[in-house]
Amino acid sequence: MKQLLSLLSMALICSLSVPASGQATAEERLNILENSLKSQAIIIEEQQRAMGALKDEIEKQRNSQARQPGEEESPSSSKVSGFFGGSILTNPNISLSLDAFVYGSSLNDSELEGRGIPGFTTLGKDARNGFNMGAAEDGAELFIFAPVDPYFNLYVNLPFSDEGVVLEEAYAVSTALPEGFQVKLGKFKSNVSRINAQHPHAWDFFDIALPYRAFLGNEGSGGEKGMQLTWLPSLPFYTQLGAELLQGENDLLFGAPARSGPHAFSVFVKSSFETTEDSTLYFGPSVLFGKTRNSSIVADAEVDGRSALYGMEAFWKWKPSSRESVTLQSEYLFLTQRGDVTDLVTETEESWRRHQDGLYLQGIYQLGRWRFGARYDVLELFADTFERAGVQQDLGATPWRATGSMEYNPSEFTRIRLQYNHDRTARNGRSNDEAILQFVFGIGAHAAHNF
Amino acid sequence: MRIVIALFLSLALASPAFAGLNVVATLPWIGSLAKEIGKERISVTTLVKPTQDPHLVDAKPSMLVAGRKADIFMYNGLDLEIGYLPIILESSKNPKIAPGKPGNLDCSRFVRVIEKHAAVDRSMGDVHPLGNPHYHYSPGNVLRVAEGISNALADLDRANAGFYRANFRDFAAKVNERQKGWHAANLKGKRFVAYHKLFEYLAQEYGFQLVGYVESKPGIPPSAAHVEKLIAEMKSNKPDGILTTSYFGRKESESISAKTGVKVIVLPPDVGSMKDTDDWLAFMDRVLAALR
Repeated sequence: MKQLLSLLSMALICSLSVPASGQATAEERLNILENSLKSQAIIIEEQQRAMGALKDEIEKQRNSQARQPGEEESPSSSKVSGFFGGSILTNPNISLSLDAFVYGSSLNDSELEGRGIPGFTTLGKDARNGFNMGAAEDGAELFIFAPVDPYFNLYVNLPFSDEGVVLEEAYAVSTALPEGFQVKLGKFKSNVSRINAQHPHAWDFFDIALPYRAFLGNEGSGGEKGMQLTWLPSLPFYTQLGAELLQGENDLLFGAPARSGPHAFSVFVKSSFETTEDSTLYFGPSVLFGKTRNSSIVADAEVDGRSALYGMEAFWKWKPSSRESVTLQSEYLFLTQRGDVTDLVTETEESWRRHQDGLYLQGIYQLGRWRFGARYDVLELFADTFERAGVQQDLGATPWRATGSMEYNPSEFTRIRLQYNHDRTARNGRSNDEAILQFVFGIGAHAAHNF
Repeated sequence: MRIVIALFLSLALASPAFAGLNVVATLPWIGSLAKEIGKERISVTTLVKPTQDPHLVDAKPSMLVAGRKADIFMYNGLDLEIGYLPIILESSKNPKIAPGKPGNLDCSRFVRVIEKHAAVDRSMGDVHPLGNPHYHYSPGNVLRVAEGISNALADLDRANAGFYRANFRDFAAKVNERQKGWHAANLKGKRFVAYHKLFEYLAQEYGFQLVGYVESKPGIPPSAAHVEKLIAEMKSNKPDGILTTSYFGRKESESISAKTGVKVIVLPPDVGSMKDTDDWLAFMDRVLAALR
């Protein structure tokens, strides 16, 4: 078709040029001839290309015979069908994880319920003595995921608790953007810092690290409505840059009443390189900032202001074989918050300023189906400014916690964990010695593991 | 901030441009086939080391770096790489290797798969419902994969199509030549016990039988009761050997060997995992030599 068009155009050029040729200068005639030669060259090139493709096609057929003479064509993809012999495409991938645990504490249930961290959060502990479902009150989590079309993948995460089901995460991820860009939109857990986007059943310990609990809550930031843009530039080493625009509904760092419209933002960088043949270091800074308005920080008072939570994550994994591995992980979080605080009883308003930080260090040793873990969390390591009306408040001793854990994983889909915490987060209050025996099961589609 | 972005941009643009196709393969044997077909006109990166168990690999950021730059991404398929493949394909943010694109090559597409399970659940262990994924021991299937690779490379790189196809013909001729020697090992009627369900294609091709497994169930380490039963069986039916790989199940197999007198035969699990297994042909030479 293309050849036909170029032939036609050539004929047109020639015919147009004929009547004019009488008066045309030598230069013009030369131009016409040159143009005509060029068009012919294009035609020759196209015909050569077509010949090449045909030759290649013949060769391709010859090759299938060369493979093994007399054998029929190679089989195409295996035939799999869904219900009623219909398309399997009617079903997305579905998996369910179940989290059940037995909890024993040196505190009684009402003490657990009221056990916040003075100066950080008034939100108590979720677990109660005895049988429980779900480390973050999510006894069962349903995951549904599938490609939408060649442009997006969709992920939905629905945790079920005694109270019902919530839409924890539901987001689409782009798969067709060029140059290493990717967009995530919907409701999702922010990818700032390391643990935040992990689901409770994938945590290395029964509970979230203390700095997360102190600044974001028992399950990190939780699902936030918004949009994320990430970029993986084509570099010799791994570096990912990301930015998020979020509604800001986390009721410890932000709070839905803060202001209409999105009022939380994040920026993060994640880098990695291989320290040896068998080990990888993974690290990066992040910041999550926005407007804060909630009454979860101090009892009977509402804080209204701005917050910025700076984080630095570092993770090192050594895995010489599938049987054995060591991971070391640490994160440092630093919060700045200023604004004012209103006492909900007396309705007096005072100025408000916080500079606080938190750190955790953890190590896991895996041998075959066993995993052994240790963790140390501490708050107010370097920064402990907590001012009301310009006056530093005396909150008491530094909160800290020490953890030991032991896991047996009979298969990839069952985890049995025994954990012990010595929790001194109540400052001058009583310590909480807690023991947990936890069972996590997964059925259905195999979800990929993140690193 | 602007300086940082400018720095990244300049680094990104300055990264060396290799003219040929950038091929990324998950497993060493797939990388080896790609090299047979593309020779020096492509660059090949292999993600999984020959000493790793391909079922139990963890995704690493360096894999995403490789995936990000790939023109074509080749993998074993049949869910063998299920623990790390999806994250590489999505998180390397490279639309060229997205499922459905010509740069996404599931090598199992070309394979005559055995042991497809109509009804399967995880109480049976780590059974692959789509069929046994260890088809790299099967010359017939490997030739089909090599042909598929040559077609895929030819489609992406028209200028070198003839080169790729000619290399495939050379490779096919070599394989057909070596097959004579491999079949001369005459394994028909021999009976072996294996550690993992890894050698079914080999058994099918060369006519030997697999009469028992050291693992209680695929991917589940052997229980004491299972081993006891297996030893009793082996004492009565006297198989010709216990097949295992150089680093997975070797200890268990050796202890059973000590109790039954049946010899352990150590086979390479993939190209490059043992001495003299530098490419797929050498790997198969080594496999057949060990079985002889």
